[in-house]
Formats: sequence, C-alpha cells, structure tokens
Amino acid sequence: MVSVMEIYQLLPKTNCKKCGLPTCMAFAVGLLGREKTIEDCTPLLEEAKYEKKLEGLRELLAPILSADATETGMIIHDEKCYGCGNCVVACPVNVANDPKGTAIGRGPVSGKAILMVEDGVVKCVNVDECRRFGPNKVLCSACIVTCPSKAIEFI
Amino acid sequence: MAFCTGCSLLCDDIEVDFQGGKIKKTMNLCRKGHAHYDSLGVDRLAPAVDGSSVGIDEAVSAAAEVLAGAENVLLFGWGNSTLAAQGAGVKLAKKLGCVIDDPSSYSQGLITEKILAGDFPTCTFDDVRNFADVSIYWGDDPSSSHPRHMSRFSYFPRGEKRQRGYEEDREAIVIDVRKSPTAQIAADGFFKILPGGDGEFMEALMATLGGKIPKVEDKKKMLNLGTKLRKAKFGVIFTGPGLAHSLGGDLAGFASLVGRLNELTRFSVIPSLSDYNSRGFNQTLFDKTGHVNGVSFKNGVDHGPEFGIAKYLDACDAVMVVGSDPAAVLPGTLAKKLAKVPMVAVNSFKNLTTDIAKVTVPTAVAGLEVGGSALRADGLRVEFDAFVESDYLPDVEVVERMMEAV
Amino acid sequence: MAGKAEVTVITYRGIFQEVEEALGMYSEGYRDQSALVVLDKGEVKELGVEDGQPVILENGFGKVVVTAKLSEDPHPGVAFMPSSPWSAQLASGEVGEDGILDLKRFRAQVSKANEAVTTIEEIGERIRAA
Repeated sequence: MVSVMEIYQLLPKTNCKKCGLPTCMAFAVGLLGREKTIEDCTPLLEEAKYEKKLEGLRELLAPILSADATETGMIIHDEKCYGCGNCVVACPVNVANDPKGTAIGRGPVSGKAILMVEDGVVKCVNVDECRRFGPNKVLCSACIVTCPSKAIEFI
Repeated sequence: MAFCTGCSLLCDDIEVDFQGGKIKKTMNLCRKGHAHYDSLGVDRLAPAVDGSSVGIDEAVSAAAEVLAGAENVLLFGWGNSTLAAQGAGVKLAKKLGCVIDDPSSYSQGLITEKILAGDFPTCTFDDVRNFADVSIYWGDDPSSSHPRHMSRFSYFPRGEKRQRGYEEDREAIVIDVRKSPTAQIAADGFFKILPGGDGEFMEALMATLGGKIPKVEDKKKMLNLGTKLRKAKFGVIFTGPGLAHSLGGDLAGFASLVGRLNELTRFSVIPSLSDYNSRGFNQTLFDKTGHVNGVSFKNGVDHGPEFGIAKYLDACDAVMVVGSDPAAVLPGTLAKKLAKVPMVAVNSFKNLTTDIAKVTVPTAVAGLEVGGSALRADGLRVEFDAFVESDYLPDVEVVERMMEAV
Repeated sequence: MAGKAEVTVITYRGIFQEVEEALGMYSEGYRDQSALVVLDKGEVKELGVEDGQPVILENGFGKVVVTAKLSEDPHPGVAFMPSSPWSAQLASGEVGEDGILDLKRFRAQVSKANEAVTTIEEIGERIRAA
C-alpha cells in the first residue's frame, strides 16, 4: 500500500502551485487518488535536479498507474488468486445486483455482478458500481477480508 | 452449462468456451477446476503392455489375463471413476472373488463409514447453505482443496435462513496445526493445535461443553467456543485429512463430541473428500456389503484392515489400479512393494503408478469427455454430460469389457 | 561444518501444487510446488540453510533433496511440506492395526544440501528398483 507520505517525499516540496494545488502535500493526495498525474508537476519533469525523485516516484506509482488497477484502485494479483469466489459471493454489490446468482454462491446470472471468476481467477467489471467508486465512496473491504491468499488490494 | 469433476464439490454452474480442441474461456471454474479442464491435453495415457504400445483391445485382453491368472487380486482406486464404473468394479471383484479397496482404507474411511451407517448425523451442502450458522473445519483446508466450498455452501452465501451475510449469520471455526488459507479467513475463529493434538483439543472442548474449566492456555477463547457451539442452531463439522490421520483408528473421542453436541443442539458431519467420486465408491460398496472399503469376496464378504491396500500388498499377486496414483501417495517403502506386483493401471493420465504398470488402459475423462454420475462429498447424486467428443473409452466400458474377458 | 536439525514434518495440500499436478506431474512447475519444505528461519540459521536453497530431508525410511522456504513466523521443531511423492519417501511404511497410514506427520533430519533437488524421475526409479 502506497502512502501519501511516501509520495510526498519524492516531490519537490516547494509548494510552487504550478499543478493547480496549494501544496505539494495536496498534490501527493491528488496523485494517490488518481485525480492528478505526475505530468501535472512540471518542475519535477523539467528540472534536472529532480531526476532521481522522478524516477523513484514513477517506480512507486507504477502499480497504481498500471492497466491492472481499476478506477477504484483495485488491484487483483492474478498469480495469487484461487478463483474460490469468496469475494464474488461476499461483495455487497453482487448480493444486491445478483440475488439469484452470486448472492447464493453460484455464478452470476443477472449481468449486473461486478466481480466474477473468469478463467480460474477473479475479474472486476462494471467498476463504477463498486462502493469504493466515485466521490461518495465507502471504504468497503468485503473482497479483501474474504480472500484466502491476499490477492486483492486497493491502492 | 458444464460440470467440474476437479474435486468432490462437483460444481454444476460452469461455462466453457471450447474451440478447436482448446479451452478458450471459462466462467465460474476455480483455479483448480480450470487446471482440471486444461489438463485434457496433458500426459494422456496410451494403451501399452510391458512398455510397448498396443491397441486398446489388446490392452484390455492383456489386463484381463493378468487378473484372471492371479490368486489374490486387489482392485484399488475408484475415487475418480463414475458410479457406473464403480458398480461394475464391485461386480468384477465378486466375479474374481478378490479384494476391492480405495484410499479411504488408510485415511478417512472410518469417518465416512460412520456417516453412511447413520452413526454420525449428516446433511447436504444445500442444507449447509440454507441453515448452517456454525461451520467447523477440522484438519481441513477447503480453500486449497475444495476452493468453492466456502463461497458456494459453507460460509459466504445467502441461504433460506441465512439472509444477512456471513458477518452476522455465520461463524467459521478452523482447527488446524497451521494457519492455512482457510484459517486466514476465519481470523479469530482459528484454533491452532499442536501436531497430533486433536484428541487433547476434543477433551478440552468436551470439558467446556460439560460446564468445566478447560485445561488449555487460552481458557477464555475455549469457553467462548463452547458458548458458540451450544448456541448454534445448525452446526456442521467438515472433517479433513488432518483430523482423520491424527485420530488414526480411534474415533471414540470424536464420536463422543459429536454425540454431546447433538444432545445440546444439532451438528452434522460432512467429510472433505478429495477425489470427485470418493463418496460414490464408499456408498456403492457400502450398499452391497455394509463396508466402505477393504472388502474381500473370496469367501462371501470379508472386511478388515488386512484387506486395505497398505496391508494387502503383502498378500496380493496382481493389482488393478483405477483412476488413482498410489505409487505417488503411499510411503516409499510400500510403493516399492506395489511396484513388484504385476499391475494393470486404468487411468486417463500418466502418473507414477501407470509408469510401473505391466498393462496400461486409457479412459476418457469423466465429466469432460464422457457423461456419467457421481456422489458429491455430501452424498448428493449428480448427473453430468460430456462437453467434448473423445475417442477414449468410458471407464465403465473398460471395466465391463474386462469382466467379460476374465 | 553445518549440522543437522531434527524436525516434525507436517504435510499439507496447496492449491498451486494441485494446479501444477493437473497440468503435468512430470513438469518443473509441479516439482517447484511439491519438492519444498517450509522451515523456521531462526531454527535453521545455524545450519547454513538459506531460503530457496536445497536441503536434505532424511530419516529411517528415505532421503530426498527439496528446496527450503524459510518462514518468518516461528514454528520451532515443526516443518511443513506439501504432501507429494517427495514427502511420501519419508512417510512411515509401518501400517497401524487399523490399516491407517500416518502420511501427514513424520520425524526427519534436515541439513544443508550440496546436491540438486530430487526429480520425480529419480523417485520413480527408486520405486522400481529391486
């Protein structure tokens, strides 16, 4: 799990406001929440003295920015997943949207499930339905705590 | 919809896109089931006699010859066979007047026998999903062995009387020597015991249920467990290989515990069996003989540990292994004994046992290449169809052909 | 000079091992998931055993070389091993009165190995040997 402090340490810490935010700390929060991108910090890109920091920041944020991460910051580590479907069945959105399928332990039947097991591993679809999505997000952890192999994390 | 014969849960909600001899996409198959489907093209067994390739007909006749020419034959395996093949296997044993056995004789057979005999109350997985509020996994790690156990039935799904989700409606208790993936999920419900400490744990639990202070380190946790079990409306104990091997042949303590729990409330026992149709073999043989394994048809029906593979290897002069790999599982010293007995191996895939067989007879993979029926670990009969065509013979046909030939 | 430690080995089944078994028990993947032992890091430190390195496991029933995995959580005196043809070589061949085999638990000595991990072919040869 990447922390705001870790990101902040790799920023210029000049509070120059070029990114549109008042402080580097606010920018760090923005980066973590994926509301800002590294490119929004122009000094970091343009000034040679920040080269090392930029490199470190890209490395730190790689998992967040990778294609694996959904818009909620969910990362599914395929290589760890058992395909057991615990998260699929425990997910409150699935329970509400798919009462005759995933809610009772079976494969999805309604077309509205957001987690399902495909090719032996879990997959997230319709991510905008996830309780962690959007401005009114809830820090739901149903899919994390039910996993036998720590295959799911949110960043 | 397709079926999965990858374990004894026999999942029936599988979707498979199969094109050009390859699995393109699957839905709802767990990782283990997915590998089972993917295995179709891997290490397939070919008909052979003494290491030389032959046609299937020749292999079947050579197999029949091995069996017919011996005095003390052992027919072993059967957990990965269809109910029809198991039935034919018992008939073949009768006809040959020989011994028939399965891996339960050296592992979980005693518990299964008590369930089939009605000594331990039991129920179906569907009952578990609908009603169970306490699931005890004892020496059992279904997350690894039966990946969809907890999501389909025993912990996470909503059911008739379990509408509020697992946090409010269910308890998972894991008793194990290590923090298994299942124990990981149970969190506070995990009771770590010492290797071989199952009997001691039972005693402490019995004392707790009897209103005494248990002689354990964490008395509070044990007393809490006692309260949970006493208050359970519908409890289930899933018995895994860890429990069976720890108890060995002495089920008295476990039987008292199950008895006591059923005086207080209702508790069922369901075995966690590995092969997809282990339960089917145990039931088939039980229906015919009153025993789940280790039966000799030499003089009527005889049963005892001397007819289990571990002991009978000393006496037998021919063995047929069906859908099993005892050479890989038995202790090395016993596997060496097995290698010295003239052997017929019937299987879909190559393994250490088929490697040491005199005659190998390949079969179709049940549930994938050929239909049939099987008993789920809870005893429910499941019928399944093939989803892909195959030239391999169904297992039942191989056994029936042998019966005609001997 | 590295010594030996006596441990109680408990066998278990892991899903990735079962997956590799289905995909071919003669594969490297199956060996990687099966021919291993989880050891208490603190306990085997003085034996010179390192994570990912081969170790010898032996007792009166047999001997195999498997890969050591060192765990941070202490479990002194106990080691965990996937139940497999490798663990079977060390399991007791003594059959209880009731016919039950103790395949889940055995004592073994562990020491640093200067040889490669035992292959399944070698186990097959041992079984076939007179």
